[in-house]
Amino acid sequence: MLVNWNYKERNTIVQRLDPRARVIFILCAIVAIILVWDLRVLVLWLAFSLLTLRLARLTWAEMRRFWLVVLPVVTFLVTLTALTGRGGEEAYRERHLNWQATWTLFGRSLSPSLSIEQLFFAASQFSRMLSMAALSLLIPFTIHPAQYGVTFKGLGLSDKFAVATDLAFRFVPTLGRDFATVLDAQRARGYEVERLGGGLVQQVRNLAPLIIPITIGAILGAEDIIDAMDLRAFGTRPKRTWVTQLVYRRKDYVLIAVGVTILVLTIILRRLGIIAFWVPLGWL
Amino acid sequence: MSTPTLVVHNLSYRYRTRQEFALRGCSFSAYPGEIILIAGASGCGKTTLMRCINGLIPHSYKGGELSGNILIKGEPVAGHSLSSLAQKVGTVLQDPEKQIVGAYVLNEVAFGLENLALPRDEILHRVDEVLNFLGIAHLRDRETFALSGGEKQKVALAGVLAMRPDLILLDEPLASLDPASALEALEAIRRLADSGKTVLIIEHRVEDVLRIRPDKVLYLEDGMQRYWGPVDGFLAMADPTQVKLPAEHAARAIRSRMDAAPRSDGAPILDRGHGEGRGEPLVVFEHVDFWYNPERPVLHDVSTDIRAGDVIALLGPNGSGKTTLVKHAICLLRPRRGRVLVAGRDTRKTTAAQTARTVGYVFQSPGHMLFAPTVAEELAFGPRNIGFDETEIARNVAEAVRITHLEGLEPLPPLSLSYGQQRRVGIAAVVAMQSQVLAMDEPTSGQDYRHYTAFMDAIMAMRRQGNGEAPFKAILFITHDLDLALSYANRIWLFAEGRLVADGPPEQVLADDALLQRCRLVPTSLLRLNRALFPQTGRFQRAEALARYLPPTLAADVPTGGMPMA
Repeated sequence: MLVNWNYKERNTIVQRLDPRARVIFILCAIVAIILVWDLRVLVLWLAFSLLTLRLARLTWAEMRRFWLVVLPVVTFLVTLTALTGRGGEEAYRERHLNWQATWTLFGRSLSPSLSIEQLFFAASQFSRMLSMAALSLLIPFTIHPAQYGVTFKGLGLSDKFAVATDLAFRFVPTLGRDFATVLDAQRARGYEVERLGGGLVQQVRNLAPLIIPITIGAILGAEDIIDAMDLRAFGTRPKRTWVTQLVYRRKDYVLIAVGVTILVLTIILRRLGIIAFWVPLGWL
Repeated sequence: MSTPTLVVHNLSYRYRTRQEFALRGCSFSAYPGEIILIAGASGCGKTTLMRCINGLIPHSYKGGELSGNILIKGEPVAGHSLSSLAQKVGTVLQDPEKQIVGAYVLNEVAFGLENLALPRDEILHRVDEVLNFLGIAHLRDRETFALSGGEKQKVALAGVLAMRPDLILLDEPLASLDPASALEALEAIRRLADSGKTVLIIEHRVEDVLRIRPDKVLYLEDGMQRYWGPVDGFLAMADPTQVKLPAEHAARAIRSRMDAAPRSDGAPILDRGHGEGRGEPLVVFEHVDFWYNPERPVLHDVSTDIRAGDVIALLGPNGSGKTTLVKHAICLLRPRRGRVLVAGRDTRKTTAAQTARTVGYVFQSPGHMLFAPTVAEELAFGPRNIGFDETEIARNVAEAVRITHLEGLEPLPPLSLSYGQQRRVGIAAVVAMQSQVLAMDEPTSGQDYRHYTAFMDAIMAMRRQGNGEAPFKAILFITHDLDLALSYANRIWLFAEGRLVADGPPEQVLADDALLQRCRLVPTSLLRLNRALFPQTGRFQRAEALARYLPPTLAADVPTGGMPMA
């Protein structure tokens, strides 16, 4: 059975907007963020994204798990890119103020270097990824779970795809619940995920006691859902009715217009080279 | 009489991947307002029959061999699509968790009607109508996944009823319900039939269904139709060791066998051990409080212990804290207040791996733990984790295989085994760790009477096996089945609202009807018969063992037919 996201009904400015308008705005914003390289603009985006979370009155307790996964992953990726000097070569050609270090790791000598360009590139990446994560977070945490299907239908998906997307959306927290149950079942058999050792291949093999039951359970669960839907005439008529209704109001149109305008402006500015990679070399 | 809602004539079916026919030559009919009970052991063809009637065979299960006819309201099923059948035949699957697709009750109940593209106002009208009929209008805006087992079952039924089918198929609707919820579900089913619907119930819990006076019984054995007719005839012919009949009937049938063959003395009296207070304490709970949210405590001031020799049944409604307490004994949870000692050590200072040597826990669904490529490797997983050496592991695995009768299955993948075998692998995995306490969550759910008694008998027998030493010093199981508890346990813990409200031998704890009611338990015929015979027996027994205490004269006096509604 599918579990819902931890959604709380709150009468906030974010929740009062039509979910279709919110999804369109978020998509426009994410594409715009991807197009920007200028750290100054990206910092503004990050501030705006965090502000929307604040406006939606999401609490740290609700979002904690999400950020505990996202922050280390983003930090790791950004640090790795910065230290290896890979990535961003298309954004800058010259390097200034190189710091060079020499470390010995596993008997090998490493000499990572850091330039001001690499530092700013890392900061841009960091802001970009966090902004996108924060905006995406708004979808599961502020859209009423009963509205997923009709929201995606309203965004132009067919009835079948809209229902499928609704189910897929709720599959994520369901997987989380199954993971917790399987982890408990294996911990009761002395399995300790924190003590796993060995090389990379061995570590993946060590995860089999978690991955296999979860995967098999998900496949069997999907078959059950298919039977249950067949028995209630799913997909047998060319059209279906949606009991949940959504109505666009003026502010929703305004939100969509703002989203589209921002995206178009970003494309134009990028063409003009205005929001390209920025390093404050003039200050140095 | 009016036109039959359902006519099944000479129906046979063989699955594409099987040699044997799952169903052979089945014929019966059902009329409006009738309740038909379909009984039989696992694998008897009940579910196949249901799939033929609701169209999943041949529409979803393709390529099999189907012969015979099914008419619904005089029209052959063969020509109908699944969608047109869905409006005539409503199916409630065994596990409501597998049936519910909507995120909220309103969306769930409306789902079928949305698919039929009815106008929105009509859908809302029908949803409210059916929610009112089932007395669950207050659930309309609740999230489906957060409902209790009984509520989920009714919501699943509502989703089917909203499509206004003439015929309703219920596949083991009581399997996951506590006794009081099961009774409420049965009352709703009775009302359905009284409103003119035809209801087919597949159910292992025959005794419970008899409470709502089914009109006829269809009894299947190995795909063959063994009986079709009124309830009394079924009770007279059914084997009480195969199907769970009301205790009086079961005991009387066995008594008459004993009278016919005087050397036979019925079922042996089960050795449940001496019970509470005799052995050393293995797990001690001291004033345990636990909560996820401080405003809603899950456990409140629970103090008790598990001692060597105990066979403890944990009874109580869903959400009363039973599983939470057991998770404290295996270190998956630690108390917010109070303490839990496992083998004398505070669980705050130990890990789950360390406590596994004392308490082994078998989760309800074997699917949550099985992963290894072979049964042997599956069984070696636990002992290896908790630090046994390879020689000990090999010895433990061999011993576990022998005790749980898994010989010959060691090289097979556990996931390819039958459900019953998978459950045995789950138990064997705990035996192989040589845990002193075997803890099980709903060990018999989804198994028929014959399988579940055989399973529990085997576990009870394990207590006396092993190389001179019993593999388990104590057994603890969580269940909704009162009869299972009184048949096998020598100690009962009753839970309600996070508190342990009674702890003692079954004869004492199950004597108080008001207490049972508080814990959403309903006295069964076996409990009543045990209470009546208690002066002679001195301890509660299962029906087969009670037969010897029934004098032949009393045997003739036991009333037949349906049980009154409790």
